Amino acid sequence: MNAIEIRGLSKSFRGMYAVDHLDMTVPQGAIYGFIGENGSGKSTTMKLICGHLVPECGEIKLFGRDNDDPGVRVRVGALIENAGCFPNASIYQNLRMQTINLGLEKSDEEIARVLRIVRMEEHANLKFKSCSLGMKQRIGIAMALLGDPALLILDEPINGLDTDGMRIMREILVDITKNYGCTVLISSHILGELEKIATHYGIIRQGRMIMELSAAEMDTRVQVFVSLKTKDMAGAKNVLAKRFADVRREGEYIRVYDVDDTAAIVDHLMKNGHIVSEIKKNKIGLEEYYIELMSASDTVKEDM
Amino acid sequence: MTKELKFESPTFTKRIKGMLGVDFYRLFHTPMFYIFLVIAAIIPAMVSAMTMMPDQQGNTMEPLYSNVWQIIAASEPLYVIRSIADYANMNMVFIFGGIMVSIFIGHDYKSGYVKQLFTTHAKKQDYMISKSLVCAFAMACMCLTYFIGGTVGGLLVGYETAVSAGSLIIAILGKMIMSLGWASLYTFLNIIFRRYFGISIASSFFFGTGILIIGVAAIVENLSLPTAFLNLFLYGSSVNACLVSNVGTLLTCIAVSAAWAVFYNVLGTKILSKSDVY
Repeated sequence: MNAIEIRGLSKSFRGMYAVDHLDMTVPQGAIYGFIGENGSGKSTTMKLICGHLVPECGEIKLFGRDNDDPGVRVRVGALIENAGCFPNASIYQNLRMQTINLGLEKSDEEIARVLRIVRMEEHANLKFKSCSLGMKQRIGIAMALLGDPALLILDEPINGLDTDGMRIMREILVDITKNYGCTVLISSHILGELEKIATHYGIIRQGRMIMELSAAEMDTRVQVFVSLKTKDMAGAKNVLAKRFADVRREGEYIRVYDVDDTAAIVDHLMKNGHIVSEIKKNKIGLEEYYIELMSASDTVKEDM
Repeated sequence: MTKELKFESPTFTKRIKGMLGVDFYRLFHTPMFYIFLVIAAIIPAMVSAMTMMPDQQGNTMEPLYSNVWQIIAASEPLYVIRSIADYANMNMVFIFGGIMVSIFIGHDYKSGYVKQLFTTHAKKQDYMISKSLVCAFAMACMCLTYFIGGTVGGLLVGYETAVSAGSLIIAILGKMIMSLGWASLYTFLNIIFRRYFGISIASSFFFGTGILIIGVAAIVENLSLPTAFLNLFLYGSSVNACLVSNVGTLLTCIAVSAAWAVFYNVLGTKILSKSDVY
């Protein structure tokens, strides 16, 4: 069963489509990285899923049910834009309100559980307004985790976090999908971080889904390449181009694409009188892949 | 392997219980509620004390009231006001109440907590009903502190205490019951103007003063028309709950308050369901 299934979803503001006939499929148990530039429609899509916005047309199904079904919506946890906490209330009080809202029994145990997950057990009595940005993001996650959610919707949860904060957040997300069976829909600009945890990706542009693929599919699409340095870069490039299909000069390096056999490259260069001073195997990351995809999309538009 | 998931739709009672629980928790854990209770108690006490203060020439002002209980409710249904005394009674709670509702709902939106509520509550009626009931409770509590403040103030000033106890109790109960209708109106106004906090407060204040009904009442009086139909409105029924009230007055208050509460809740739910909530 899919956790989220969206078909033909549209929403406009002042005549401009923020989400334009969007189709989206998030499999159950996935960590779905939702990628797109600013204003591409990520947050709007998330708000539509959560029922904060009314769609103009289209259909949203959560676990096979309409998204306005109270039974499924009570199992959705969300962190969209901010944690949604009362600043003058303590962390405990904010979480307590959410346990009451969800009608959870043993609320203190539940609060302790989620605070443990986000590693904030010792800060329960701190006022929300006194928390750092990283703490607020984690409290937002804790709020979303209350009541055994089946689906977590997290809009830029790692924005503004330091390296350690990002690591903690990453561990939390992996933990809750593995141990609690949660499906996570997460958007982020920090694609390097997303790449470390996502099992699926959706790339959105100008309100339309450009591509959806699993992390395994992504691996087959991303190019491997070998980058190297020699004394005579121009000569080496010419030599390599005779044997390998895709050889490019990029900055201080020569890149040989779709090849991961460094020994063959070194051997070929040596036979042709070039000594390699530096060589390493590489893979185009999600970020580069995304940039390439966006450039390709721009080119197609210009051609039209 | 994916986890087997079961989704049970919560009943209406369970949903409302959850939302009401949050709102009551918040009400009792914020200073705002207690501040408004104190304001409701201080205002009538101040009004009583001010009426006995000497003017600049040292002359004692003409007392506004002759009886303690006129601070609580007018001696008869005074739809058209001719002096501050006609106006300054427990009905003022509905003006402060409007401001309180605006702040209460405004904080929901300002903090972003409303997102949590709307994410987990697919039915928008839950929000309308819960806010209306909790704010009605808060206003009813303000009526009680107003009663205490007015009584203490009036007794200290030395007003007469003679009254029909039954009518007084009905007047107080009637006004407390009217809180539901007023709270529903204010919740509705705050739903409409949820993006504009200033307009929310201004509109609540505007309707709370009853200025529209006072205006209509003045026309009706000039034309010597019957005034009973004014009791169909929130302000009219609130004014009608006075020191000559009877059981009929109380029943009118119940019917009018409930009817307007249903009207505003249905309308508010429709608007919420068809518009972006955050």
